Amino acid sequence: MQNLNRREFLKLFGVCGTGAVLSGCSEPKRYLIPYIDPPEDVTPGVAAYYATTCRECPAGCGMIAKNREGRVIKVEGNPAHPISGGKLCMRGQASLHGLYNPDRFTGPMRRGATGQLEPIKWENGQDLLASTVNGIARRGGTGRIVFLTDLITGSLEDMTAYWLSEMGQQNGHVMYETYAYESLRQANKVVFENDAVPTYRLDGLDFLISFNADFLETWISNLEFARQFGEFHPLKGDKKNKFIFVGPRLSMTANNADLWIQTRPGMEYAVALGMLRIILDGGLIKGIPADRRAYLGAITADWSVEKAAAAAGCDPGMISAAAGEFARAARPMAIADGRSMFSANATETAVAANLLCTLNPKSLDAVDFGRPHSYSKTASAQSMKGLADRMRAGEVDLLLIYRANPVFSLPGEWDFAGAMKSVPNVVSFSPAVDETSSLANLVLPANYSFETWGDYSPRQGVSGFLQPIMGPVFNTRGLGDILISTGKKVKSEISFPWRDFNLALQGYWTRAYKDSGGSGTFRSFWENLLMRGGYWPQSPSPSPAPSITTTAFSFPAPGQKPGKGMPVVVYPTIQFFDGRTANHLWVQEIPDSMTQTTWGGWVEIHPETAREMDLGKGDLIEMKTDFGVVEAPALPIYTVPKGVAAIPVGQGHTNFGRFADGLPANPFKLMPSGIDMTSGGIGNPGMYAAVRKTGASFDIAHTDGSFSQHGRDFWQTISLDERNKMAANGTQPYIDYPLPKGYDESKDFYPPHEHKDYRWSMVVDMDRCIGCGACVVGCYSENNVAVVKREQVLMGREMSWIRVQRYFDDETKLARWLVMLCQHCDNAPCEYVCPIFAPQHSVEGLNNQIYNRCFGTRFCSQNDPYKVRRFNWYSFSRPSPLKWQLNPDVTVRQKGIMEKCSFCVQRIIEAKIEARQKGRKVKDGDFTTACAQTCPTNALIFGSLLDPESRVSRMINDVRAYQVLVELNTKPAVIYLKRVTQEIRA
Amino acid sequence: MTFVESNPRTYLMESGQPQGLTSYADADMQIIRTMWHPGTFYWFCVAMTGLGVAVGAIAWGYQIATGIGAANVMHPVMWASYLTNFVFWVGIAHSGTLISAILFLFRASWRTSVSRASEAMTIFAVMIAGLFPLIHLGRVWIVYWILPYPNQRNLWPNFQSPLVFDVIAISTYLTVSFLFWYTGMIPDLATIRDRTTGMKSRIYGFLALGWEGSNDYWRHYGTAYLFFAALATPLVISVHSVVSWDFALGISPGWHSTIFAPYFVAGAIHSGLAMVLVLLIPLRKIYKFENLLTINVLEQIARTIILTGLIVGYSYAVEHFMSVYSGNEPERFQYEWRMTGYYSWLYWIMVVCNVFVPIALFFKKVRTNLKALFSIGILVLIGMWFERLVIIAGSQAREYDPYSWGVYKYPSIVEWGILIGSFSLFFFLFLLFAKFLPTISITELKEAIPPEEIKG
Repeated sequence: MQNLNRREFLKLFGVCGTGAVLSGCSEPKRYLIPYIDPPEDVTPGVAAYYATTCRECPAGCGMIAKNREGRVIKVEGNPAHPISGGKLCMRGQASLHGLYNPDRFTGPMRRGATGQLEPIKWENGQDLLASTVNGIARRGGTGRIVFLTDLITGSLEDMTAYWLSEMGQQNGHVMYETYAYESLRQANKVVFENDAVPTYRLDGLDFLISFNADFLETWISNLEFARQFGEFHPLKGDKKNKFIFVGPRLSMTANNADLWIQTRPGMEYAVALGMLRIILDGGLIKGIPADRRAYLGAITADWSVEKAAAAAGCDPGMISAAAGEFARAARPMAIADGRSMFSANATETAVAANLLCTLNPKSLDAVDFGRPHSYSKTASAQSMKGLADRMRAGEVDLLLIYRANPVFSLPGEWDFAGAMKSVPNVVSFSPAVDETSSLANLVLPANYSFETWGDYSPRQGVSGFLQPIMGPVFNTRGLGDILISTGKKVKSEISFPWRDFNLALQGYWTRAYKDSGGSGTFRSFWENLLMRGGYWPQSPSPSPAPSITTTAFSFPAPGQKPGKGMPVVVYPTIQFFDGRTANHLWVQEIPDSMTQTTWGGWVEIHPETAREMDLGKGDLIEMKTDFGVVEAPALPIYTVPKGVAAIPVGQGHTNFGRFADGLPANPFKLMPSGIDMTSGGIGNPGMYAAVRKTGASFDIAHTDGSFSQHGRDFWQTISLDERNKMAANGTQPYIDYPLPKGYDESKDFYPPHEHKDYRWSMVVDMDRCIGCGACVVGCYSENNVAVVKREQVLMGREMSWIRVQRYFDDETKLARWLVMLCQHCDNAPCEYVCPIFAPQHSVEGLNNQIYNRCFGTRFCSQNDPYKVRRFNWYSFSRPSPLKWQLNPDVTVRQKGIMEKCSFCVQRIIEAKIEARQKGRKVKDGDFTTACAQTCPTNALIFGSLLDPESRVSRMINDVRAYQVLVELNTKPAVIYLKRVTQEIRA
Repeated sequence: MTFVESNPRTYLMESGQPQGLTSYADADMQIIRTMWHPGTFYWFCVAMTGLGVAVGAIAWGYQIATGIGAANVMHPVMWASYLTNFVFWVGIAHSGTLISAILFLFRASWRTSVSRASEAMTIFAVMIAGLFPLIHLGRVWIVYWILPYPNQRNLWPNFQSPLVFDVIAISTYLTVSFLFWYTGMIPDLATIRDRTTGMKSRIYGFLALGWEGSNDYWRHYGTAYLFFAALATPLVISVHSVVSWDFALGISPGWHSTIFAPYFVAGAIHSGLAMVLVLLIPLRKIYKFENLLTINVLEQIARTIILTGLIVGYSYAVEHFMSVYSGNEPERFQYEWRMTGYYSWLYWIMVVCNVFVPIALFFKKVRTNLKALFSIGILVLIGMWFERLVIIAGSQAREYDPYSWGVYKYPSIVEWGILIGSFSLFFFLFLLFAKFLPTISITELKEAIPPEEIKG
């Protein structure tokens, strides 16, 4: 996609636009066999690329979708987009599985006499909706119709509001997001007088402390933060910025920190207050105005570092170390999670973090309230509870649902499903079945984001566009179109003058066109929007720093008594967000970064605590809080402190399609049911559960064979000082070059391989890797890697070509990752053992696996020390329509053959053909592999070692370079750069 | 000793010579009378083993249809019970040739009575062993790609691969063993031809290749037999050495060792001799061959088992020593894990059965006790089967990358079916052999009768 030029783009856009205009005239053709009516300008075998926006979470990353023969087969980040910058996270990569989810609604349905949903015609469905709305409108009264959607913005939000007002309803639109950041907004209101989720910029910082904010996983805009983290944290020259994480659990984000300050759940604010106190007492930061000093002094009066450390349950030295680092930094920053469902005292922690940010004016440069995030619009938990109460009181006649799933994610005790039963008419526009939509009487399924027109603005100043990349997979329609046509039925053509939503969208954007004051016609403005994938005016002017108040704020005094039972940390994961991606096969199949678990939830317990409680891996335990009970298997692991349990959210679905249902467990059911009246979030006094062993077991489908690397130097670290010393001395790393110059007569039996034109190679910078797993899904998607599901993962038969291996350091018990993929060795042990040359060494250094040649002795895998070869135990299949996602450039493997990473050989060939057409050789950066393309931190770098100027050629001589298992003389072409560690001392 | 008493013609002697035969016709008839008139028990056994073969065939068919996933092999243990069976059966195949050829060359007279049966055992075992690499293939339908013959695909096997060595070694071994067995049988087939009439006589006549028993025939026969014996002997060593290289040429910890060739050969003979005991003791009873297969013969086998058991024990010890001495951490861990890890129970069964149990054979009382010999034979077979599983599955389960460690837990129903099928096929073929071919070499038997005993 990097080689997509303007001309191609316009061509593609033209096709798309024409198709859309034509389809507007009548019901769109729904042939799913491509090319019964071939569109012009599309060549079979040549991919078309369209810009669109990821709608898997509210972050709104820009995407480029690849269309082959009428079907979307791959998504990548849009390089021009300010949020995604050409990258995508695991969920974004897996969005195709939402599109091709076999459990999507296949067409409009209504609940029949038997109580089952029965298919109906679109006309009838829309008539039904229109007559219901008509009846309500005729009866009068406002608030009778509630339109419950996930976070939507721009033209669709406009259309929804307009539609509701035309129906005589005010304030009927409720945007529900599980994570509404009430506490964060409240804290911003308290400290910065701004009830909003601002835009954070982490890339310009030199020190970051996160109070339980998992900004690399789900927090606000995780991919953007991951990209910024890739600027902020890795080694730059001989310096490396410092990052401290404060929280009760070693999350993926925490594990990227230079220091993890373990706290008791919910007591993170004590660390922040202790830091404030130290900075104030020691006068560590100069230039704090006297009134500010007095104000902060009063707040932290009770919080000597000892008290704070005792309250937080950590070492006081760590607090002073953090304070020292914060004070020394030129541009420090403190962020806090601000989701009260995940932690007690979420508002307090966020306020304390904000107070830290007020110490140094530079901190506030990284917080932009002038460009609030759209999260600021979402309904608070309090208003959702209010909605449930209103529904239960019979004040709602019609509930319209679009993509929101509160039944799954609201506290179990609120019984949102029960409240929905009091609503006489429930209509769902959601594309796929979920716990909420399954309660609807009428289902009018809307298109998935890849099939529809639209726009989405994650924050002010950035609007991403959505355009139909392909015809609808099922008998679905765009939500905007449904609203327009029902609006016409209820009201008239005059009220709803648009032929379809596309025109309404264009109408909406004429305003922006006029505002932009740009030259040219609207047509060219519009085409440019579609081509670029959205609207983000260049160089936004910096917003003024927020004002800082001195309103009093009281923190709960130190010395609170913990509740009864085992403290429970509930946390979100990068793969499931709030559970909405649980029906995507890939995210179920890809192991969790920290626990390496697939297909089903778990309860993390420290191994020592587990031993004391006599819990083994996979023992099903019952966790019971005052508000609910769940059962999930125990997983003894070092990610939680002793005596604490942690459960991820996202699993435990009951009606979310075949891939998500029936897996343990949904901890939203354990949530406290109270409301924190100041923030409007869930009132969470801390969760404590009675833990009971049920005696049953649920095997954990994990992919890790060991916690430890057993001293085998798979992952290696180097301290910053040592690295700098070595670099200064000009120390050369020991590398067995996968090149003829790596040949050594004393240890090589066979002559060296000569290469022609290229020697493909990859450098993996483990100082950049954050362990997020986006590369893995990118690879699954590009290379048609089979998903084997739970039973087969339990057998150890997962098929991933690339994996993010997790080990724990034997001493610190911190996790260390290693991205493992085929090493394309120059002296490959897998090659010589095959009796029939199925693995074959190419002249470009690739270790090619010739699928047709393989008859499955599996000796290559036996002899592969990196264990990256995967065997097709069966002919793994994909239920329709998931198979439409398959990349036609990559063979789908049959049972009985071996496969493995090919360095995306199809991309190499494509790049070579393109280069040949231009009459030159492939240049460094012309293309890259699927894993490297989506890596948010650019930890993977691909290129040719025969090009002395290529990035890989330059990087393999870095002092940090090493090869895994170099002692086996395999001469791997994947060269790792050691992770740089630095100690944070008081 | 009940069956000894039941045959008054038999008495025990210290020599390995056949007892109680007074004429060549006696010799002919004692062997031939065991043929062609089976009882119901025989047919029952044939039916049961035939059923077992069918079970194996169905299991294999199912596996071909669904994929290797039907077996419980997994990543990283890509090879498990199938290749364990392969090595096991190749091992069994060894003793046959060993007894026939090597003992023939050394002129060990006691081999006479067991050579034919053990040669048959060799051939059947090699046939079954040869099946397992096919069973274990992902796409068995294109297995012929491994054969080096000029073809339109312009493809050629990779002669660096130990698996190609295997094909060559096993097929050579099968061919030579078959020819050795068949050559030795020609005069016997002629004898049967002469002592039967009608169709039988014609079939055996065909198989006897027109043997007429002239001086020339005997001279050629003797030379050919000697040559085959001389040819087969190095094959005993080479074939199992090659099999061991399937592993030793791999780089996995636990496999990559120069001791593998002698270690595997000793192990193969160990299990082969045990199999000889397990087969001969019932055979002797059923066919009332106590006079031919004297206890002395069995005692000699038992003595050899002591030797092979000690060699195997030495190999185990050396492997462990080398793993520590080499300073190779994955190697050291591998052997430590063998003793203490998931498969440790298999390991200890293996050590006890293969090394400690045979030590009991130092006692003459044990050596001459048929029940004890039979039990020890069974135990050694179990031990040797486990040895192969420990080496194959155990080594793979703990390779270099700790992240990719995993264990093969137990055989799937398909693997059990194929295991049952393989043993059934072996006994099925052996039963057929026992009925339709002379199980003891009549020729050699006659040679072994002391001339002074000949009365008729």
